[in-house]
Amino acid sequence: MLPTICPSCHEQLNVTCLKCDHCGTEVKGSFELPLLARLSDADQQFILRFVKSSGSLKEMAAQLKLSYPTVRNLLNDVIQKIDAYER
Amino acid sequence: MNAEKSFEWIYNPFTRLAGWTALGLGLLAALLMAGFGAYSQVVFDGVIDVHFQSTDLVNTLSLVGISLASLIVVFWLAGLIVAKPFRFIDLAGTLTLAKAPFLIMALTGFLATPPDMESILNNPMVIVQDPGFLGVLILSLPVMVWSIVLMHNAYKVSCGLKGSTLTISFIIALFVAEAVSKLLIYNIL
Repeated sequence: MLPTICPSCHEQLNVTCLKCDHCGTEVKGSFELPLLARLSDADQQFILRFVKSSGSLKEMAAQLKLSYPTVRNLLNDVIQKIDAYER
Repeated sequence: MNAEKSFEWIYNPFTRLAGWTALGLGLLAALLMAGFGAYSQVVFDGVIDVHFQSTDLVNTLSLVGISLASLIVVFWLAGLIVAKPFRFIDLAGTLTLAKAPFLIMALTGFLATPPDMESILNNPMVIVQDPGFLGVLILSLPVMVWSIVLMHNAYKVSCGLKGSTLTISFIIALFVAEAVSKLLIYNIL
């Protein structure tokens, strides 16, 4: 899993180098991680499931064997995190 | 299934069970409560009340119905005030199922005969002198606590509430629901 939080000070990490495996070219700088990449692995998996089930919380609830309001609460938590990152 | 998940089914089944399924199971438990209560002389005259009383099926059904309706309507109004949009059926279903532990009390009514009021007035110690009745009295406390924990989790899961908003609104709604159920019972029945 991509590390997104600094293990020393717990602040958000930035990408400083990207490398082409084909020709070896390196692009250096300080690039902010995209918003979705900043979310935890569990939250990213949740969003993937949400998209794959065409946004149907009922279908997700059946897949995850959870109740509808529990899945909706998980979605609300992810929305809250995204809102916080956007601010 | 590990031990923690098994235990979760006891105090918070609503992470896996809500909506129409919970309502169906809850109504079945409510009907059984009223049915057994009519024969074991146990009435549920309030949101979290259970008393020994001579009664019939119509009376126990009415009492269970009024207490359930009070509970659901008051918590629904509380949810409308403090929570984000939620489904009424989830709240109604989970709260109905949260009353199911009281079924135990309806059954225990067959095991104990309460002393009549005259005997209690003459000698209040008669309550603790009957082991069967004392056992039922002691059992009623964990049953009530279990039901309140379930109601709390039903409200929490169905309305998506957390922290102090959840705690404060739950306590207020529970007191209001109890008061409303008592008022309705004494005015209607």
